[in-house]
Amino acid sequence: MLPVVEIDIGPCINCSLCRRACPTEAINYFSTGKRTHVVDKELCIGCDICVKVCPMDCIDQDMEYKPDPVKLESAKVKARAFAKRQRGVRVARRERAQRAKEKVHA
Amino acid sequence: MSSKLSEHIRQMPSRRDPPYRPAMTIDKEEAAELDKKLGDAANYDIGLLREMVNADPDNIEFRKALVSGIASAEYAGIDAFSRKVCEWQDWEVPNSLIMAMARQTWDEVRHARLATGVLESYGGKIGEYPDTLAGGAAGAAPSSTQGGGHAHGNGQQANGGATPQAAMQEPISMLSAVNVSLEGGALLLFKGTSELGAKIGDPLMERCFDYNWADEVTHTAIGDYFVKLLAEDDPEAEKRALRIHAMSEYGRTRLDEQQTEELKEFFADEMERATAALAGGGYAGQGAQDTSDDAASGG
Repeated sequence: MLPVVEIDIGPCINCSLCRRACPTEAINYFSTGKRTHVVDKELCIGCDICVKVCPMDCIDQDMEYKPDPVKLESAKVKARAFAKRQRGVRVARRERAQRAKEKVHA
Repeated sequence: MSSKLSEHIRQMPSRRDPPYRPAMTIDKEEAAELDKKLGDAANYDIGLLREMVNADPDNIEFRKALVSGIASAEYAGIDAFSRKVCEWQDWEVPNSLIMAMARQTWDEVRHARLATGVLESYGGKIGEYPDTLAGGAAGAAPSSTQGGGHAHGNGQQANGGATPQAAMQEPISMLSAVNVSLEGGALLLFKGTSELGAKIGDPLMERCFDYNWADEVTHTAIGDYFVKLLAEDDPEAEKRALRIHAMSEYGRTRLDEQQTEELKEFFADEMERATAALAGGGYAGQGAQDTSDDAASGG
């Protein structure tokens, strides 16, 4: 089981890339009422996608947190649905690019 | 009272040589030309063009269109941020913010020069493709829509925010919408374009947009720093910054086709009102609901 993450809000510049990349929407910003990005650890599946997109390297693993297995499974289901939607968008875009290529070469 | 400098700047239209030519205003002849070059005029879209360059790396026209679209935004950035250097002298903001806007203006100048150089390496030139963004038109609003009077503190200006257009000129809102939200979002664009350059063996594209990416991180940090500073001990200002960030993202997430439940929740009231307005306009029934849902979910 991968450890969940937490955000060090000191160096965070609120660019929101982590929030927008998170497949389980575990990172809250607008609903916090303050300009701080906060991880809802119950929704985090430890996929590390947010760590990779963070330009400030301010997201770290929380080795102490022990996830609830039921909530973790439910978050994984959400992540799979997100990944499927994203794949759909990417495939549609690739197909459109391919059609453009074929059209200009025709 | 507004300073002579800011008044003078507001009267000046956004100009460039060659002149701005917004993509939304091109004629049928030019649309047909884009159809021929890009397969469809609607393919003149930065996100899609990256995919097109990836699909057909030898097609130099696709690369020219992609870099033209990005360069256009850089020229608009020069215009917009340089206006802030002048206009924000009317507000009670630290001089370091004015200097940060000046620095950002020069960063945009470098980005525009770099992107223009990459474009020229493909045999292209600025103005060959229409502009995705054209000048700092928002900053050039007529003075009648601007707040006048003396500064009040915390980035406030007397009568400022009387209209939505004037509200966007206010430093906290503008920094939150443009520096933090828009430039923060642009980090993905620059990273992705730099990676695309590396993938297709185009070192100029790779390095130009890696350089821009690094500056965008700084611009986002500048915006975040000054929003925090100006909204310190002012929860209302902080909420305003959050709201304007959400609005800025809301417009773009629809384009990016991304799902954001938190954003959807944040705008639940607005969506309810939009649904009611659609129903009032004769668009009653499930269709109206679908329209507002689609807008929130990026559909």
